[in-house]
Amino acid sequence: MEVTLDKIDKRYGKTYAVKQLDLKIEKGALHFFLGPSGCGKTTTLRMLAGLEKPSSGRILFNGKDVTSSPAADRGIGMVFQNYALWPHMTVQKNIEYGLKLRKLSQEEIRKRMDEVVGITQLDGYTERLPGQLSGGQQQRVALARALAIRPNVLLLDEPLSNLDARLRLDMRDNISRIHKQTGITTIYVTHDQKEALSMGTAVSVMKQGHMIQTGSPRTLYHHPNSSFIASFIGETNLLSGKVTQASGGTYSVSTAFGEFRTARAVGAHKVGDKVHLSIRHEAVDVDFGRAPFNSEFTLKLRLEHLTYLGESEQFKLKNDSGDFFKSTVFHTPEHNISDGDEITCGVSAEDIVVLPFQEDTDSGT
Amino acid sequence: MTTEEATVDQESSLNRLISNTVGYGTIAATIAILFFFLVLPVAVIISKAFYSEDGLTFEYFRLLFANDLQTSSIWNSILIGIATTVICMLLSIPLSMINTKWEFPGKALLSGLLLVPMVMPPFVGAIGIQRFFARRGSINIFLIENGWIDAPIDWLAEGNKFWAVVLLEVLHLYPIMYLNLSAALANVDPSLEEAAEVMGVPRWRRYLQIVWPLAAPGLFAGSIIVFIWALTDLGTPLLVGFHDSMPVRIFNMVTDANENPVGFALVFVVILLTVCIFLSSKLMFGRTKYDMMAKGHVTSGVQKAGPFRLIMIYSVLVGTVAIALVPHISVFITSISDQWFLTVLPEAYTTKYYELIFETDLPFTGIKNSLLLSLGSTGLDLILGLLVAYVVTRKLVPLSGFLDGLVMIPLALPGIVLAFGYVVTYTDTFLDPLHNPVPLLIIAYAIRRLPFMVRSASAGLQQTSYSLEEASACFGASRFYTLRKIVMPLVAANLIAGGLLCFAYAMLDVSDSLILAMKDQFYPLTKAIYALFLEQGSGEFVASALGMIGMLILTACIVGSSLILGKKMGELFRS
Repeated sequence: MEVTLDKIDKRYGKTYAVKQLDLKIEKGALHFFLGPSGCGKTTTLRMLAGLEKPSSGRILFNGKDVTSSPAADRGIGMVFQNYALWPHMTVQKNIEYGLKLRKLSQEEIRKRMDEVVGITQLDGYTERLPGQLSGGQQQRVALARALAIRPNVLLLDEPLSNLDARLRLDMRDNISRIHKQTGITTIYVTHDQKEALSMGTAVSVMKQGHMIQTGSPRTLYHHPNSSFIASFIGETNLLSGKVTQASGGTYSVSTAFGEFRTARAVGAHKVGDKVHLSIRHEAVDVDFGRAPFNSEFTLKLRLEHLTYLGESEQFKLKNDSGDFFKSTVFHTPEHNISDGDEITCGVSAEDIVVLPFQEDTDSGT
Repeated sequence: MTTEEATVDQESSLNRLISNTVGYGTIAATIAILFFFLVLPVAVIISKAFYSEDGLTFEYFRLLFANDLQTSSIWNSILIGIATTVICMLLSIPLSMINTKWEFPGKALLSGLLLVPMVMPPFVGAIGIQRFFARRGSINIFLIENGWIDAPIDWLAEGNKFWAVVLLEVLHLYPIMYLNLSAALANVDPSLEEAAEVMGVPRWRRYLQIVWPLAAPGLFAGSIIVFIWALTDLGTPLLVGFHDSMPVRIFNMVTDANENPVGFALVFVVILLTVCIFLSSKLMFGRTKYDMMAKGHVTSGVQKAGPFRLIMIYSVLVGTVAIALVPHISVFITSISDQWFLTVLPEAYTTKYYELIFETDLPFTGIKNSLLLSLGSTGLDLILGLLVAYVVTRKLVPLSGFLDGLVMIPLALPGIVLAFGYVVTYTDTFLDPLHNPVPLLIIAYAIRRLPFMVRSASAGLQQTSYSLEEASACFGASRFYTLRKIVMPLVAANLIAGGLLCFAYAMLDVSDSLILAMKDQFYPLTKAIYALFLEQGSGEFVASALGMIGMLILTACIVGSSLILGKKMGELFRS
């Protein structure tokens, strides 16, 4: 089912929880709403579910306007953040609830039970009460209950936020697998960018009620449309600077770390404009004297602090005026660099992106 | 969407429409009931107190206050209220502190026994103590036989009746104060006190400056209920024979209310008094509601009592229980006594009065009527209480706060006022109580206990996450299907507990029963007891036996309710 949000506003009194939201969610997608808490992503999901009414705008399911239909008429399945399993009903009763409301035959109910119990690997747990299950099992029951009615759209509200780190990784795979198996259009709300990047077919990043950018995980990572996206998705050095030269889409920008030149830019800028430069931490190479060293632009900086993580090392560097610059190097050679040493690092032009200057964006470093 | 699914959708929207109509219709009916049987009768009383055929008048109030008999009855009732409240408070403070702070053998039993007086309708106690304290009663005979006094003391002389009423009220009402206070003290996070303890603050100072200020709203809430209850209780002064009190005067004026409008003025004074007390409590404590911070690891704060303290605790508790049970014991002895003349205790015992209950008309009819009326009113309370609590906690209608306030009014509205209002509002209508009081009795019982039910159901609903209902809505369930399938099972314990309380209190309702039931055949239990008490011969003994039956029923209900609700029971008796 294709889901369209058309100029959706949601106001509480005078404050906007969601403002002028336009979005098309492809049929069969695993579409993520990603953003910091309070960005309006859960409100948007609840409007899609029919649990909240938009203040204005339209919601379309396959082109049909469902804006004023109650939740019940939308054919959605929803997994709540706290799972909302009915504590007085067994797993089986929880799952059957929606099916009985649809007055399906006993045979059909049994068939669908077997199907979702199988898909969520809950065999042997159907007679238990929710209170007798672990967090991960409860999560799967909530998923099974939502899937049993074969929803047009599956809505997941931070479904993994109550699980421990290990279980969360397992459940990511589980949800991806179930999504592939069923092909149900799924909308997934999270504040965890790793979840969104690793699972999503498309991701919409939201901030303060606005949709900032929608695209595939790769697009968001490599082609952020703003300094907010650049710093929110992955980790980046966001340098403020001034355009000194602009010709044929190539820009020279002077920053606290020297002058950089690149042909990658979002928006058009002219000489004298204030801009942000985004340089990913992992795009900054450190000169260990080994080849190849990437030296299109070289910087000589002092090491403030080194974090050793095994598979990688994070270098927190500082220029003479105290501005920080970070580098993450994977698979480093053995070395005896220590805090206070002078380090040479290099960046290539294709890893530098010029972005419109945004006042409130922190550098993410 | 396939056609099959489309039909399912249509059918489900039709079902939803029907179920919503029924559901919202019930809510509308609830509001109508509250209007016709709570707001309207009070409005009628007020209008009749201020309007005569010539328009607005204060004449009835002038007449009321010019009459010394009337003004003295007002003062007496206020003094009964104050004395009862103060004594209850003095008694409950040590009791609740023992309950929340100390652990000792037999605690559960003694704490339970402390609540027993709640099952004693105070006017039944009045029958019992008359037997004990009469001029030729057990106490005097005991004292004379031992040579401690020469002539019998007139314990129940006119001048002592005031204190007899106060004593009976205290013995009946202190559990309410004690429950309120215990709940408030238990709610004070022990770590707050511990924080002061580690700073070296002495114990008395911790109580004075930390624990009591935080528990004060609970103490005050209990006081309000106790005061109003004592101020407006009809049964006790009536049976003790203390006629110079407001409720008895009102009772005597009901029959000729329309000829003697001073009665309206007097009822209005009662309304005014209760409203003022409630408003003052809101003003004093409405804004000082302290939020306990999120509780981390909660230490119980209960300590084991040492030997010295144990002696103190036992003497306070056992002493209280012993005194509190005197009326019960006296009623019990009266009910089984055969041949009781000028002796401390009866010379012979018999069960014949219990047998008489089932052989004579009046007592048996009383039990039967009360059971049926209470069942009816409890059923009504269950429906109204759950719906109101649901609508209010889920904020389904505009002004739900107003609705919440409305259903809580009966807690402060004396039974005599409501019953009086019903008589004047519905005389000469199809609900005329003279004709058939059953509908009005059921409604009166139900409305007066509705606050317990609403409180009880709200407590359950507040602990139930709203997302459980949203999940059900997502599957296509209507709100009222969800209410039946999801909400009701989850708050069933609260509903049962609230229902038991409503039933118990309806069984022993005094003011509505005495005022509204005017013919023998409709007498509920309490009016039958009253009528028997007034009869010559064995009436007093049968009345006691009947009182015992009532107490047994009430005990069973309250024990059941407190087993289900546990510590939360105290919160039901809050204003």
